Amino acid sequence: MMLNINNQVYEVEVDPNMPLLWVLRDILGLTGTKYGCGIGFCQSCNVLIDNFVEQSCLIPVKLLENKKVTTIEGLSSDGTHPLQKAWLELGVSQCGYCQPGQIMTASALLIKNPKPTEDEVINEMSGNICRCGTYYKIKEAILLASKG
Amino acid sequence: MNNNLIESRRRFIFGSALTLTGVITGFIGSNKALSELIYLDDDKITSLAPSIWVEITKDGIIIITVSRSEIGQGVRTSLPMILAEELDADWEQVKIIQAEADSKYGSQATGGSTSIRQLWQPLRVAGAQARKMLITSASLIWGIPEDDCYTDKSYVYEKNGSRKLAYKELIDKAITLPVPPANSVQLKNRAEYKIIGQTRENLDELDIVKGTAKFGSDFRIEGMKYATILRSPYVRGTLISYDDIETKKIKGVINTYRISEGIAVVADNSWSALEGRDALKANWNPGPLANVSSDDIRQAFLNKIGTLPNLPSNTSKSIEAIYEVPFLAHTTMEPMSAVAHFVDNKCEVWAGTQNPMGAKSAVASALGISQDNIKINVLISGGGFGRRLDSDYIAIAAKISKSAGVPILFFYTKEDDIKNDPYRATSIHAVKAGIDANGNPTGWIHKVISQGSVNAMNPEYNIPNINNLSDISDFGIRVGPWRSVDYTQVIYVNECLMDELAHLAGKDPFIFRYELARHNRLKNVLQIVSERSNWNTPLPQGQGKGIAAFVGYGAFIAHVIEVSISKEGKLKINKIYAVVDPGLAINPGNIKNQIMGAAIDALSTAINTEITLQNGQIRQSGFHNFRWLTMDEVPEFDIHIIETTDSPSGMGEVGFPSVTPALCNAIFNATGIRIRRLPTSKTSLVGVEEKKTRMNEFVDFQAYPMPFDSSFKLSIELKRWSRNYLDIKISDILGKIIAQSQLESNGTKFIGRFYLPALPSGTYYIIFSDNIESYSIPIIKN
Repeated sequence: MMLNINNQVYEVEVDPNMPLLWVLRDILGLTGTKYGCGIGFCQSCNVLIDNFVEQSCLIPVKLLENKKVTTIEGLSSDGTHPLQKAWLELGVSQCGYCQPGQIMTASALLIKNPKPTEDEVINEMSGNICRCGTYYKIKEAILLASKG
Repeated sequence: MNNNLIESRRRFIFGSALTLTGVITGFIGSNKALSELIYLDDDKITSLAPSIWVEITKDGIIIITVSRSEIGQGVRTSLPMILAEELDADWEQVKIIQAEADSKYGSQATGGSTSIRQLWQPLRVAGAQARKMLITSASLIWGIPEDDCYTDKSYVYEKNGSRKLAYKELIDKAITLPVPPANSVQLKNRAEYKIIGQTRENLDELDIVKGTAKFGSDFRIEGMKYATILRSPYVRGTLISYDDIETKKIKGVINTYRISEGIAVVADNSWSALEGRDALKANWNPGPLANVSSDDIRQAFLNKIGTLPNLPSNTSKSIEAIYEVPFLAHTTMEPMSAVAHFVDNKCEVWAGTQNPMGAKSAVASALGISQDNIKINVLISGGGFGRRLDSDYIAIAAKISKSAGVPILFFYTKEDDIKNDPYRATSIHAVKAGIDANGNPTGWIHKVISQGSVNAMNPEYNIPNINNLSDISDFGIRVGPWRSVDYTQVIYVNECLMDELAHLAGKDPFIFRYELARHNRLKNVLQIVSERSNWNTPLPQGQGKGIAAFVGYGAFIAHVIEVSISKEGKLKINKIYAVVDPGLAINPGNIKNQIMGAAIDALSTAINTEITLQNGQIRQSGFHNFRWLTMDEVPEFDIHIIETTDSPSGMGEVGFPSVTPALCNAIFNATGIRIRRLPTSKTSLVGVEEKKTRMNEFVDFQAYPMPFDSSFKLSIELKRWSRNYLDIKISDILGKIIAQSQLESNGTKFIGRFYLPALPSGTYYIIFSDNIESYSIPIIKN
């Protein structure tokens, strides 16, 4: 089947029920999307599908024909997306493992709501777990990016 | 295979995330996705490398070796800062190499907050030695005394002239000089620091936000296959037999292997490995814990308390209490994983680990080969918290690679990770403490009984007649280090007991601690946190504040936490004040991150989480029933750093221990209820008065059985409600909605059954509204 990922078309031959996460990581080598829990709870694996945030660990790849997938690698190649710049400016990460998922959730928020309030940021981001507890910095970085 | 790269003796430097090759098994695991590939050719480049810690190239790159592991605590930035400071390096030129496991680095175990404390002096000396050689070189070239030279940002300058030479221009001269003895070099004083004390961004941040940082589970090499393992569902259970006929029918599955830990499934990709594992049929011997549940462990602990000694005769009032602390699972964001390649009786590993040398020895004994034939490459870890000091997952990867004959990426699922964790020990603490007629402490008895080996420790206050006792009740459940290890249990108890004593003495808990504190630096952080939190200003009804302090890892910290408790007993953490005295703050922004993160770590575990055993099986299985706080639940922070000395301390763990007791003391301040059992959600915070009055507001409310095991029936009859349905939500103790449903009316009542088998035990709330008022009724899950 054909997949459109980060504006690039890939032809993959896999079990159609394989979740997108494993296609990205194991078949295409796009390891920026992380495996955290595998049941859609921690959202480390978040990606955009047609600009909406989804948990790639839950979506069978067969549902993605004619859809546009964006992963952390597709946000920018050089770290210049406003969210990436804000993350760098504030030094958000600790271990960093959940951060690609956090950034993808935030990017979906900014697409639909470019100037979110603090409460809107908290509401949107409260599904993403960060075991290091970087929440305060994540919130500040999203608000900073939305001002840029 | 890419042998020509080894032959040409070229090395790759990948931006900040540098990997040194030189591979024993004949292949190179190159991080191709990493950006900014720089080639250094050893044939052309001469570099100054006066020690194992630093190399300065003629290209002007300063390569600093980091021998401790990055687990989110920031060592890959803070350790290089120390060396770069004494070298007077331009921070922009610093690149880092992660050391592989090698005894030449001394201890490489990342634990006990030792990285900065143990490497502070060696790294300073290494920087100063290199700097001295560069200064000597410039002085020889210019024909002036060394004292007439000074350095700044990778240049040597002439004091009384305009000449300058970049470090890279001095390499040819410097390599002809002897390395000055360690005790001969002059180290900078605090006032001269340019890099230390300034917040530096994590050197891996760019790779992290681009998704190109390589964690252990992201590593890929040619020919690599993916492996999962099916382990016994019973703690200490063993495999009798298994059938893999269905497994082998799954596309992508290559084979299964029986290893001592369970059944390994090797496949072309992770999904096939997982599908193959699900299709296995296995028979297990449940083992010695088949009839053991958490209550049995608790009872065994209680049976060992015995009679505590008497307090001194001048005791006029005393407290006797039992505190309880559960098992906890580390649940790092990144489940355990490792890549191993066994070939020709040699093994190479790539993994996130806190214990590279331990991994080497674990692989050696798992495979029966010499440590000389093992190479451990350390990658960044998606969280550590003590979990990765245990090398079990690395040994499993090595065994599967040996069985399968190919390189293997072995990974645990989150459920595997929780069920096979080396848990934070569980313990029961029997305490007895007293005061005399003047409110001064007379004695303190603290007996710990644990599964693990938790020892009582002296409080950091002047208390006479301390008697610390400990005993073990061993069920053979694996335990391991946790962020701040035994302090998590012991400081919780000590600082809560200090609060109980203060209350007994009728003294303010801050004043009580301040007057008895054994160190001036402890007094100082207590004083400052009381000022910053306006300790003496009372809070309104329904709110409370608690204080606690901790001394450890060379540092001093005090916390004040402010909470609100609703009439229904719901807990809200409003604000955390932390004042930390690290001695010297190397990377202040990172210290604040650590203090914030450790507080959220401590709050999550104090409020919501525990690992429980039911008939030999671990009940928890994922983030849904072992919950960490999310952004909507975290409080405001006020973190303040005070520097009082010129030497640094460990910052990764110090922020944890005093958070739990500060929280519990705040709950007491707000409600009069002592939290003597963790997690706090096991204790109802509903005031006695409240329980009586609420029920009259609607005709009938029944939830039964209560407490419930996996489900309960709900029946509600309301006075003020005319619709034929009722929206019901269930929240946890912090108010987070965890389930919702709609009940239909059977004419007079709304009736339904709620199934919540995966919910951790504790207090929850049924929330509904009759259009005029919203109700929150507490319920208890066993």
